[in-house]
Formats: sequence, structure tokens, C-alpha cells
Amino acid sequence: MSDYQYDNETVKGFIISSIFWGVVGILVGLWISIQMWAPSWNIPPYFTFGRLRVVHTNGLAFGLGIGAIFGICYYITMRLTKRPLLFPKLARFHLYLFNAAIALAALSLFAGMNQSLEYAELEWPLDVGVVILWVIFAVNIFGTIIKRKEEQMYISLWFIIATVITVAVLYIVNNLSIPAGLFKSYHLFAGVNSANVEWWYGHNAVGFIFTTPILAMFYYFLPKSTGIPIYSHRLSIIAFWSLVFAYLWTGAHHLIYTPLPDWIQTLAIVFTIFLIAPSWGSVVNGFYTVGTDWSKMQTNYLTKFFILGITFYGLQTIQGPTQGLRVVSQLIHYTDWVPGHVHMGTMGWVTMTVAASIYYIIPRIYDTEIYSEKIANTHFYLVLIGQLIFSITMWITGIQQGALWKAVNPDGSLKYTFMETLVRNYPFWKMRTVGGVIFTIGMLFFIYNIFMTIRKGKSLAAAKA
Amino acid sequence: MTGEIYRKPVMFAIVATVVILIGTAITMFIPMLTPQMHPRLENLKPFTALQLAGRDIYQREGCNNCHTQTVRPLKTEVMRYGEYSKAGEFAYDHPFLWGSKRTGPDLARVGGKYPDAWHYRHFENPQAFFAESNMPVYEWLKDNKLDPAKIEAHMKALGFPYIPEDIELLKDKTELDALVSYVQVIGASVTKKAVPMATPAVTEKEHISNPFAGDPKAIAAGKNIFAKNCAVCHGENAQGDIGPNLTDKAFLYAEGDVPDDDYFEIINNGTTPGMIEEGRTAKGGMIPFKDTLSKDEIWSVVAYIRSIQGK
Amino acid sequence: MGEEIDNIENFEAKETSKKIPIGWQLLFWGLILWGIYYFVSYTPAISGWSQGKAYEESIGRGEAVPRP
Repeated sequence: MSDYQYDNETVKGFIISSIFWGVVGILVGLWISIQMWAPSWNIPPYFTFGRLRVVHTNGLAFGLGIGAIFGICYYITMRLTKRPLLFPKLARFHLYLFNAAIALAALSLFAGMNQSLEYAELEWPLDVGVVILWVIFAVNIFGTIIKRKEEQMYISLWFIIATVITVAVLYIVNNLSIPAGLFKSYHLFAGVNSANVEWWYGHNAVGFIFTTPILAMFYYFLPKSTGIPIYSHRLSIIAFWSLVFAYLWTGAHHLIYTPLPDWIQTLAIVFTIFLIAPSWGSVVNGFYTVGTDWSKMQTNYLTKFFILGITFYGLQTIQGPTQGLRVVSQLIHYTDWVPGHVHMGTMGWVTMTVAASIYYIIPRIYDTEIYSEKIANTHFYLVLIGQLIFSITMWITGIQQGALWKAVNPDGSLKYTFMETLVRNYPFWKMRTVGGVIFTIGMLFFIYNIFMTIRKGKSLAAAKA
Repeated sequence: MTGEIYRKPVMFAIVATVVILIGTAITMFIPMLTPQMHPRLENLKPFTALQLAGRDIYQREGCNNCHTQTVRPLKTEVMRYGEYSKAGEFAYDHPFLWGSKRTGPDLARVGGKYPDAWHYRHFENPQAFFAESNMPVYEWLKDNKLDPAKIEAHMKALGFPYIPEDIELLKDKTELDALVSYVQVIGASVTKKAVPMATPAVTEKEHISNPFAGDPKAIAAGKNIFAKNCAVCHGENAQGDIGPNLTDKAFLYAEGDVPDDDYFEIINNGTTPGMIEEGRTAKGGMIPFKDTLSKDEIWSVVAYIRSIQGK
Repeated sequence: MGEEIDNIENFEAKETSKKIPIGWQLLFWGLILWGIYYFVSYTPAISGWSQGKAYEESIGRGEAVPRP
């Protein structure tokens, strides 16, 4: 047993909150996936696709993603610094403020308060709230690290520090706006410049919310759960620095063939392709680590999650850079290929890794064992199948769309009207909904397992007392 | 690499910040200070109060989640949508609304492409035009009146010029009026000058006759195509609605029959106000169908129209 | 179950901590070289390529743009 009084209550709070917002976000995701092929599922004014899609993306990125990141980063940081959080009461306030902000955010998006900047849709009063949340997080993380009891900072802490700094810069700059009332503002930047700032933010928000903190979890929980140390420290170092250096150049790969100056697009493509190397640094490191004892894949149920997670990260970081190339972008940009890509990252890499981290954490802070490894395995296969159906159907229909848009008759005229290209998506969009349902059922297994583990821990504690 | 830095969090944070900001500075902050990021086309105008109100609604309803507003310089894309997007078109776009997904078509060149009446009807019931469309219905915007004071505040915030009458005018307008007015100005700074009038494919001298004239099969097919594409403006029985009656022998609002290929021409290329065809002046508003219908399909529609004329 | 205290020593393998697989090193340097090639080829100020010119060429207008 540890002598340290870790602040487990805040960690629990964040994990449970993030699961709650995750359920909301996933259900809204299912709903909009149906709206894609059944427009009668739009219920104006609050529940049309245009409003619900941002509830889905924000709910999952900020509710599930950031909620889990706050909780799990607190957990990791305390253990790697061998001390409780420097400001436990502030952390508790952080948790309450987080839930209030996400609830208000969801309501404001239903109401149509929307800055129309992807992944930065929240209007300015909520932006102020998010910045306060982030400052609290930064103060607590930095404070705890500075007052640490272990001199050496492990790589997970580097990723957490990089996340804290970068997200702060990104969020503040991109949300600079001209207020035009309490619930309305206009981006401070206009046109091409507005686009360049937004995608600098949009891409790097993905990088520093769905990549670096998740890598922090990976580098921490993989050795913890398998008992195998990370293969190469030197590779971790090079991968870390080249990743955080290269990431911030690449936002413009979302703007290939737009009026953005060519040289910015080219530079973005160069660094985007380069990013394969640092990303695969972590993948290779993960594989070599578990490679010293592959039997862990069978004997340790968490290893599967981490290895499949990092595999999807590896696929994601080849597919993503490839999409940045002009020749690929002109075919698949603006098609369903892109949501297919995003969901491999979020449903494969992020959710797998976060779920496994939560499986690791919950039994430990409730001083018990996982309720059922069998249910965890069922959860694993359901989310894997659901995600594969989702991504693969979107890739197929994305390539199809791109090809139909470009198709010409022998006389040089366009072969298909837009409607003709649209209707061919419907069968794939329906299959995508099926994939989503399977994934959701998998997540329900996960939630049930976590809930039962908590119950078990509580009754054990009660019995002891 | 020295290991010292991993024992000094403050130093680590400073170094990390610098490393992170290099790419940011080169691709984002420095370009922002140069004129290449702030171009403006000569005939680009700031949004009027009504247009801005419409743009606010476009943002509120998240139209950019399904529609892009940027045409890429790619051959087939320009063929489908029109002139590719120029940096100078967007100087007043706070924020840009280029979008990232085309669930629906690109809208960068939609301004002026269809008559207002088309948009009203399409927003009220997209499926009436395209039975298999997945666009939500926006009829409810008709029931919401604009709030002139709010829009005036928005105009002030953006520093767009207006006169009190512009604001006064908003009092009786609905949200749908505003949205249509915005949609009609998208891309106008380019389309108004860059796109030349469609040159007639058929000159008056060499008339082509309808290969399907009188063919009952083609007439049946044409009737079907008409119901899907034309009835929404010309009426279920072609008796006229937004567009003119087609059951009489009048053509472009004047009596006197014209050859089949004049019909083909209008369906194929649409009309622009003041365009002259067979010595008659068009009012504009007819949509070109050359991207929607094949030549055979257009000829079938002509055959169908001929079959119901004078009945 | 209880919780063991983390020992950072247990996170990093000792014998292999300085090893970097050769395949990965090739990838790393290869991508840097490719990046230099691509930057030179597709930066208007260096190679003269631009997306506008490439478009003009694709519709048969303007001078042919060298395609590296």
C-alpha cells in the first residue's frame, strides 16, 4: 500500500463525468448518422443535422476526450511525481466547473450559438470558461510537477506538459473574436487568414487532444499493465521532440487547393508526411516493448487494447499524411473518406487507449479487481468490429464519391449530377449506422463493467469498515 | 541529448514552447502580417444588413457542416460549380465558411444561379425538388421575424456600412428572407464579371430537329423527368407557377411557335435576364440543366412538352 | 489490490534504451529528404509551380508547367 494520499476523488469524478458525456456524444452521433440517410429524423429547430453535428463533435472531444484527459493526467502526474496534487481543492472546483461548462456548451450548441469554426464552435462566454478550466489544469499540473518528489520526469509528463502549453496557445489565438452581443461574435480574422488560423487550430487540437495526452497514457499504462519496460528511451526522446516540432506546421493540409497561398500548403504537406516518422516512433516502440513477450496479448486483457490502439494510431498516421498529398486530396477531400479517417483515430486509437486506462485505474482506486475480464473482452471485440465497419464503409463511399464527382463522358461533360453521386452513399451510410450501433453496444458493456467494478469496490470497502 | 532538461520542468516547458512556436510563427503569424493574407477583389462589397442577417442564420444552422464554399482549381470541379475560388473574394468573411465536407453541393457560385423563388421553395421542401435529397426542411425560418436591433449591433461590430433605412427594412423580413438574400450574394463578386454569357450551342441557321419527336416512349420518359425536375417551378401539369405556362405555344412570353431546338437550348443553358433568343427577350431565372440532364433526357422533355401543347 | 509506488526505473528498459531500429532510422531520414524534394518542387518562388498554373495547363490553356 502506498503512504501517499493521492487525490483519487477528483480522478474518479472526471472519469465518471467523461463517460457520461461520452454516452451523450455517442448517442447524438448515432442520431446524426441516421439523419444522413433519413432526413425526417431532423427535428427543427434544435435537432437538425447542422446543430447536432457540433454537439456530437464537441461532446466527444471536450466532454469525453478532455474530461478523460483531465482525470487521467491528474492520475498519472500524481504517480510520476510521487505526491498528491498541489491544489486538491482547486482540482475539485475544476471538476465542477468542467461539468457546468460542458452542460452549458451542449445547450448553447442546441440553441445554435455557433462560431462556425470547426472544433471551436463555442461562443465567446464559453471560450472564457474553457480558458479558465485550462488555466486551472495548467496551474495544478505545473505546480505538482515543480513540487515533485521524483527528480526525473518520465516521458508521459513531457507529453502532458506539451499538451498543456500547446492547447492553451491554440485555443486562445483561434478564439480571438469581435463580440457582437452576449451570445454572438465574429472571428477576428477574415477570409483566407481566418481559414489559416482555424485549421492551424483545428489540426493541432486533434494533435494535442487526441494524440499527445493519449500517448502520455500509452507510455504510462503500457509498462504498468504489462510489467514490461518501454523498449527504447532514446527513440521516445526523438519521437517526442520531432512530433511536437513538426505538428504545428501542418494545419494547412486541411486547405489543399483552396485560395491559401501555395507555399503554405506545400510546407504543410512536407511536415505532414514527415510526421509519419515520429508517430511511428511510438508505434515501433510499443511493438518492440510488447514484442519481448507477445504472450501478454493473451494473458493480459489490457495489452490487447493498448496494442490495437497503437496499431490504429499507426494506420491513422499513415493514412492521414497520405491524405495531405495534393494528388490524394483532390480525390478524397470533402468526401466521407475524411470522417472515416477521423473515426479510426477516435474510435480505434483514442477510445481503446482511454478505455484501457480507465480499466487500469478504476480497480486500483477502488481497491478491488475488475468486475469481469470476459465483459472487457466482449467490449473489445464489439468496439473493434463497430469501428472497422464504420471506417471501411466510409472509405469505400468516399473514394466512390470522389471518383463520381470527377467522372466525365467521352464528350468531356460531367457524367453524374450531384444528386446521382449523393444517393450512392445511402447504402454505405446505413451500414455506417449499423457499425455505430455495434460500437455503442460495446461501449455499454464497458460502462456496465466499470459500474459493477465500482460497486464491488464500494461493497468491499463497506465490509472492511 | 543531455538528460538535464528532463529534471528541470520550467526549462523543459520553455524549450517545448519555443519548439512548438517555430512552425506556428512561420506558417501562421508571419503570413498574417503580409498583404497576401488580406487580398480583396475590386468589386467585392461588404454584406448588407439583410445579407449579414442571413449569414448569421447560415452559421447558426450549421450549413457549413454539409456545404463547402470553395471551388478548387480542378477541371471537373470548375465544370461542376464554376470559376475556382479566389483569395480576394473572402475579405469580409468573419469567419471564412469554406467548410470541410460536401454532403450537399458546394455553394461558392450559387449566388444568382437560381431565382429567389426557387430558393424559397427549396428551403421549404428540398425533397420537392430532389426526392432523394437528405437536406433538412427549413420552412420554419419563415415564421421567425428578424430582430433589427440585433442585426444593427452585428453590422456595427463588423464595421460594415449601412443607413438607418437598411435597418428599418428588416422589420418585416423573416429569417428565410435573410437567408435567401445571403445565399444569392455568395460568390457574386466573381460570378458577376468572370462568367461570360452562355454562347448558344445551336445557331439560328442550322436547326436540329428532335430525334425523339412524337416517340411515345420518349414522351413517357420525358413526363417522368419533367415531374422530377421541372414541375416544381412550371407546375405539375406544366400550367405555370414560378416559371411560365408550357402548355401554350407561347415562347419567352410571345406568341408564335419556335423550333424544338430553341426549347432544347433554354433547358440546356437556362436563361439570363435580357438574353435574346429567336428575337425574344428572356426575363432570366430558368436554371441550366446541362449538368443535371443528359442530351437525350432533355430531348425527351422537349418531346413531352410538345405532346401537351395546345391541349 | 492496493497500489505500488511507481519506480521510474521500471518504465525504461536498460539494455535496449539506446537502441533505435534501423528501419525507423531509414524512415526518419528518408522522409526528411523527400520533404526537401517536395518543398523545392512545389514552392512557386523556387520551382515556378503553382496550383493556378497547373489548372490552366489542365484545361489546355497557358504554358505547360513542368511536373516534377
